[in-house]
This record gives sequence, C-alpha cells and structure tokens, in this order.
Amino acid sequence: MSKLVADGLTVQLGSREVLRGVSFAVAPGELVLLAGRNGAGKSTVLRCLVGALAPDAGRALLEGQAVRSWEPRARARRLAFVPQDSDVPFDFSGRELVTMGRHPHRGRSEPLRDADRDAIERALGLVDAASFADRAVTTLSGGEQRRIAVARALATEARLLLLDEPTNNLDLEHALQLVQLLRELADQGQGVLVASHDLNLFAPRCDRAVLLHEGRVFADAAPEQALASDNVEHVFGVRAAAPSQFFPRDFRL
Amino acid sequence: MKRRLPLLLLLALLVAALLHLGLARERPGLGALLAWLWSWTGMTESPDAADRFVLGTIRAPRVLVAIFGGGALALAGTVMQATFRNPLASPDIIGTAAGAAFGGALAIVFGWADLGVVFTPLLALLGAVGVTSLVFVLAGAHGRFSVANLLLAGIALNTLFGALTSFVVTFAFDNYTASSRVLFWLMGGLDARTWQHAWITAGGFALFSLLVWPRARELDLLTLRDDSAHSLGVDAQRARRTLVWWACGLTATTVANSGGIAFVGLIVPHLARLLVGPAHRVLLPTAALLGATLMVVSDLGCRVAPAGWNLRLGVVTAVAGAPYFLYLLARQRRGVAL
Repeated sequence: MSKLVADGLTVQLGSREVLRGVSFAVAPGELVLLAGRNGAGKSTVLRCLVGALAPDAGRALLEGQAVRSWEPRARARRLAFVPQDSDVPFDFSGRELVTMGRHPHRGRSEPLRDADRDAIERALGLVDAASFADRAVTTLSGGEQRRIAVARALATEARLLLLDEPTNNLDLEHALQLVQLLRELADQGQGVLVASHDLNLFAPRCDRAVLLHEGRVFADAAPEQALASDNVEHVFGVRAAAPSQFFPRDFRL
Repeated sequence: MKRRLPLLLLLALLVAALLHLGLARERPGLGALLAWLWSWTGMTESPDAADRFVLGTIRAPRVLVAIFGGGALALAGTVMQATFRNPLASPDIIGTAAGAAFGGALAIVFGWADLGVVFTPLLALLGAVGVTSLVFVLAGAHGRFSVANLLLAGIALNTLFGALTSFVVTFAFDNYTASSRVLFWLMGGLDARTWQHAWITAGGFALFSLLVWPRARELDLLTLRDDSAHSLGVDAQRARRTLVWWACGLTATTVANSGGIAFVGLIVPHLARLLVGPAHRVLLPTAALLGATLMVVSDLGCRVAPAGWNLRLGVVTAVAGAPYFLYLLARQRRGVAL
C-alpha cells in the first residue's frame, strides 16, 4: 500500500482554482520530484498532503487514513515537511530549532532523552550543519538556514519527507549534497517528495517526476518520460535538452 | 551565571518589594518595617498599631498587586510575541489593554463594579478578548502576522476603543464620582489597593500562568509559521487562539486592578530574551520575575516622588517605555532580530 496518496485534490484559493483533481502517490523507497511552472500548485499540493490545508474536494491519505484526521503528533512522527519559507523572528540557535523536530516524540514537559539528542546530532550531521548549529539562526546565511530547516524535518525521523524548494539559496556543493542525501534516504526505504525548479539536479536522481500544469497532473512517470523535451516545452514554454546531461546520477562530489 | 539568574532575579524582586514597603515620604519607614517583620519571630514586640495598619493593610496589598500585575503583564507580552510571531506585539500595542479598559470603564460607570469585586475583571476580560480576537482576524493569516498589519490594526482598535471609553466617561459625566474614578483608573495606578485586589490579581496570575506554563515548548514552535508548526504536530491555529486567550486573561487581571500600565508587556520580554534567549521554558519565568520587579520599582518611584506631582504608575512606565519601543522599531527596520 502506498503510504501517501493525493486523491483528486481540488483547491480553490479566492476566485482561482489552484488544483483541479490532482492524484498521485508516494511509496516508501521512492524519491519523487514535483515539478511545474510558478503558480502551478506545487506548494498547495504539499500543504494538502501534510494536512495544513483542507482541499475543497478530494482527499490526502496517509497510510490509508485522511491526513487531517490523524492525531497531530502521531502524524508528525510519520510525515515531515520542510516549507518554502523558514523565517524565524527570534534568535533561536540552529540546534534549538532542530530540537523542535523532536516535539512529536516528547510529552509536554518531558526533557530531552538520549534518543532525542542522538537524532538531533545525526540530523545536523546529515546536512553538514554541526559547525554553525550553535549560532543564532538570524545570523546565518539563507543557505545555512535552509539546511537547519531540513535538519529539523530529519530530526523527526519520519518515514515520509516532503520538501518545498529545499535547494533554494543553497550553493552548488550543498545542493548536490542534499540531493544525494535525499536519494540515500529513499534507498534506505523512506518516501521523499520534493517540489523543485531544480530539474537538472533532481531529475537524474529521482524515481518518478510528477509534472503539474494549470492545476492538473500533466505527466506522472519516470523522469526521462515525464520531463521529455515535448512535455517540458508544453509546460515551461522552452525547448531544452534532457536535464540528465547536467548532473547525471553517477555524478559524485 | 545563567543558572543562578532566577535566584538573582528573585532576590532583586524581594529587595524591591521590601524597599517598596519601607521607603515612604511619611512613616512608617524601613526601620518600622524591619521591626514589624522581626516581631513575627515572636522575639520582639510588634510596632504600634498605626504602623502595622499602614504596612499590613495599605502597603502590603499594593506591593502584591504590583508584583503579580507586573508578572502577569510581562507573561501576557511574552505569550503574545510568540503567538503573533512578532516581537512588537504586546497587550498595549495591539489594543488588548484598551479593550480591557473599555470593559472595566463600563463596569465602573454602570455601577456593576460595586455589585461585586469580580465584575470589573470580568468585563475587562470580555473587552480584552473581544479586541484581541478582532486583531487576530484583521492582522493574521496562516500565521503570518506582519509588523505593519499588526501595528495598523492595533492603532485602529486602540483609537476606536479609546474613543469609546471617552464616550463612556462623558456619557456618565453627570455622575462625577464614577467618571473621575474611571479617569483616574485609566491613568494606571496602585493607590488604595485592598487585599481583595491583591487576591484577585494573584489569583488571575496563578490561574493563567498555570495554563500557560506547561505549553512553553508549544510557544517555541508557534514562533515558526503555521505550516512548520503544524508539520511538527501542533494544531497551530487552535494553539495560537487558546494561548492568546490566556494572555488576555493575564492582561485583564492587571488592567482591572491597576488601570492602564503601558509598555511593561512590551519591554520586559525583550529584556528577558537578552538575558536568557528565546526558549520559553526559561523565558517565561524570567519575564514574570523581571516584570514584577519593574512594576514594583516603578510604583516605588510614584510613591516617593514629591506629593504635589500626583505621579501615576502608568505615566512612569509610559515615559520609560515609549523611547524603548521606538528604539526597537528602528532596530527592526534595520533588519536586526529582536
């Protein structure tokens, strides 16, 4: 059974129909790319799937159960999310922010246990953020803040991971590292769904690409088919070479 | 240093409270206070009845209202800044205090305040919740409470409810006692506080802070946007609503018993964050202790100022707080985190 399912998601924001019956699934062990033009509805799909937004029609299902009917902390232990914006108005340290990722595992007044500390350090290590984790997050660069946000999601140890533009503000080295990390997580059995414009980076490494166009799923297939030149031209309006030529899957740092 | 900070703050509060009780233009002074406290051990005679009356019936409730009122306002500000995700949010900036003042003014002018001691706080609470709910709807969407929206909604509602309160005062102008009572109360002050006021302030502080305290970690998460907080297992919208209600309760408790005290709810959370950082498990108690101390010291200033000045507590805190608020605004415009 697929762990995360979008089933006919339809969302109207104001007078605009942002999603019109979007359906696809993310299974454990899969890295799925969600692509499309600006305003195609990628972030809205992710917000519906994580339960932050109730669709006007259709369902978002986590392990077969409507995602919004899950007890919030139980859901958060299974499904983690890195939103596009990660601004924090106060001077929390990076480590304090990543510690928030353990909230779903802790009782209201329960102190940090060894398992929590291990998960936090592991998450910081995975995104190469340990060196600046103790600095105030407001003093970090955009890319460093992004890595902290990803580490917070990893610290939940959820089996499903949704990321909205995770490579925004990342330099090439850290963007490649992140994509490789997501690939490895998928290889270890996690389900990963990434909304990104970075087709060059993600297409060669993902198992499937879901191409959104005008609120509908235009293509849902292996990346070389979903992002074939004709599809890219139809959706993005540009004639482009196959993205796998830039950073092919076997490219290592 | 950080570990000893709560103890140091508690000590500072204790010293401020003792000075508040013992420093005065007229007797009894510090000597009589110490003699009175020492007499509790049973080793000495207690001071004369007049001194005991002044210390125990006039000054003690006043200092308790200052302690718990200051603590409550500081907690209210801390909670609001987290839930609105905005370091400039506080009961007096966004209109909560104006709503509470309006409710309290209604209670006084229509005579409900004389029916029972709980009526002013109750009406103040209703006013506070009403105005804050309006700000919540007007200024925020998806946990995005922008500084501009928040301040603009606050200005509009402060002006509106200030005007409504003025109308209530002029409406009742024939009833000179009631209208002057409201005016004096609006300026914020702790004179003529009784033990009843002290118990209500302490009770309100205890009730609402006990509701807020266990949710310190949730407050940390609410400083994130709704989507992030939601993804970490917090029902962000419901949690924001509930916690803002508790903050209204804390504000109303203070406003009903001490009138309009400006800026304590804004400044103290900032000072506390400078001392211990933004994590609420430590920030909440630090802010409460600092708020209590600031209020006691400010009220002490009123009490020892020359008698002819008729200096009011709300005036002292506003004169001290307004420049700090402008300084914070300037810092935020430069993009410095507060």
